[in-house]
Amino acid sequence: MAEEQELSGRAAVVTGGSRGIGFAIAERFTRAGAGVVLTGRDLGAGEAAARTLRAAGGRAVFVQADQADDKAWSQTIALAERTFGGVDIVVLNAGVSAMTRTVDLSLEDFRAINAVNLKGPFLGLKHGVAAMRRRGLGGSVIMIASIAGKIGVADHIHYTAAKAGVRLLAKAAALELGPEQIRVNTVHPGFIRTEMSADFPEAVIKTAPLQRMGEPGEVAEAALFLASARSAFMTGAEIVIDGGWTVR
Amino acid sequence: MTRKLDGRVIVVTGATKGIGRAVAERLAGEGAVVIATGRDREGGAETQRRILAAGGQAIFVQHDVTREADWQRVMVEAETRGGLAGLVNNAGMFFVKALAETSEADFDAIYAVNVEGTFLGVREAFKAFAKAGRAGAIVNVSSLMGLVGYPNATAYCATKGAVTGLTKAAALDGGGMTPKVRVNSLHPGVIWTEMITGQFGDSQALADAFAADTPLRMVGRPEHMAEAVLYLISDDSAFVTGAELTVDGGRGAD
Repeated sequence: MAEEQELSGRAAVVTGGSRGIGFAIAERFTRAGAGVVLTGRDLGAGEAAARTLRAAGGRAVFVQADQADDKAWSQTIALAERTFGGVDIVVLNAGVSAMTRTVDLSLEDFRAINAVNLKGPFLGLKHGVAAMRRRGLGGSVIMIASIAGKIGVADHIHYTAAKAGVRLLAKAAALELGPEQIRVNTVHPGFIRTEMSADFPEAVIKTAPLQRMGEPGEVAEAALFLASARSAFMTGAEIVIDGGWTVR
Repeated sequence: MTRKLDGRVIVVTGATKGIGRAVAERLAGEGAVVIATGRDREGGAETQRRILAAGGQAIFVQHDVTREADWQRVMVEAETRGGLAGLVNNAGMFFVKALAETSEADFDAIYAVNVEGTFLGVREAFKAFAKAGRAGAIVNVSSLMGLVGYPNATAYCATKGAVTGLTKAAALDGGGMTPKVRVNSLHPGVIWTEMITGQFGDSQALADAFAADTPLRMVGRPEHMAEAVLYLISDDSAFVTGAELTVDGGRGAD
C-alpha cells in the first residue's frame, strides 16, 4: 500500500492526458497519490477523463491547452500551482502523427508536426522548470518520445525529426538542470495499443521479439518510475518500451 | 587521373565561410561543379573566386535555406548545369543560452534554419535527383551535439538531434526512390570556425582548453570536415546510408 502512494503530495502536469498513453499516465499518477493537471485540445474528452479520475478517488483537473502554445503553458502551470501548490513532475506526452512521402510533404505540414512534437516539449520544459525552481525541490521532466528518432521511420520524416530532437533536448536539459536536481529523461514507446496505432497490421507486430503490442499502462509504469524517487540517480536517460522492436 | 566527382553538380549550403567553404573547395578539387549557396554575397563570391583560381568550377547563389522559393532557384541552377548529383546541407545556426533565457522566438529561429532548412533541402534534392534520373547523395551536417547533450544548449541540441533523426527517415525514403538516394549525417566536434569563435571568443587559450578536453588533444579544422563530406558524397561510400559519421577528435567517446 505504501508503494501505491509514492507520489503523494506531488503535483504533475500530463499533456495529451485525455486518452491513450497520456490518460494511462494520469491514471497511474493519481493512483500513486499525485495531483494531476491533464491538458489536451479536446475539451469534451479532457473533462470526461478528469471526471473519470476523480470518480475513482483521484485528484485531477483538466485544462484545454495546445502543447505548442506558449500562453497556454502559462495558464496550465498557473492552474497547477493554484490547485496543487506547485509543479514537481511534467510529462510531455502530447503528440501528433501522420504518414506522408518526403517528396509530397509540405513545409506547413512539416511545421505543424514539429510545433506540437518538438517545440511543444521545449515550451513545456521551460515553463515546467520555472515552476520547479519557484518551489525549489527539484523535479522530474519526462518526455514521451518514440522509437522513431532512435531509428528512422519511412514516410515519417517530420515525426522522426521531432522525436529525435526531443531525445537531444532532454539530454541538453539534463546537463543544464542536474545541479538543481531537476531530472530530465525520455521514454521511447514502440507500438502501443492506442487510437494512433489501431490499424497497424498484426503480422508486422509479430516480427518483434515479444510478438505483441504494448499497453498504455506499461508506458505509464515507466513514467511512474521516472517520476518517483526510485529513479533519483537517472537523468538524460532513455527507457525504450518496444517489445524489442529496435534491437533487431 | 580520374577524380571522384568529375562533372557532378553538387550544392553546398552555407558555403560562404567556415566548414561550408572548405567543403566546396574540396569537392571542386575532385571535379565537382559546385553550387555554393548562402546569404552572404561577399563570402559566397570569395568562395567562388578561390575555387575558380584553383582551376575548379563553381557558382554562387544567394540562398536562405528557410525559404522555399530560394530552394527552387538553387535547383534550377543545378538543372541547367546538367542535373543535381549531391547536396550538402551545411548551413546552420548556433547559440548557447540558458533554458530560461531562450525565448520562443530564439527557438523558432534556430529550428527554422537547422531543421526546416535541412528538410527543404532533402525534399527538393529528392525531386531534383528523380528529375535528373540519377542516383544522389545527401550529407546533412548535424553536430556532436546532435548525439550527446551540451549544457545551456537545449535549443541547439533539439535541432541537431532532429537532423540526426531526420537523416535516418530520409535514408529509408531515399532507398525507395528511383534512382536511389543515400542520406547520411556528419557530426563535427569542436571545429575552429567563426561559429565557435563568434560564440565563445577567438583566443589561443580557448582553443587549447577545448583541445585539452579532446582525446586527440586538438581542435578540428574545416579541412577535416571536407574530407568526411567527400567520403559521404562520393561513391566511396556507396553502401553507406542512414549512418552517423562522427568527426570530433574523440570527444563523443568520452
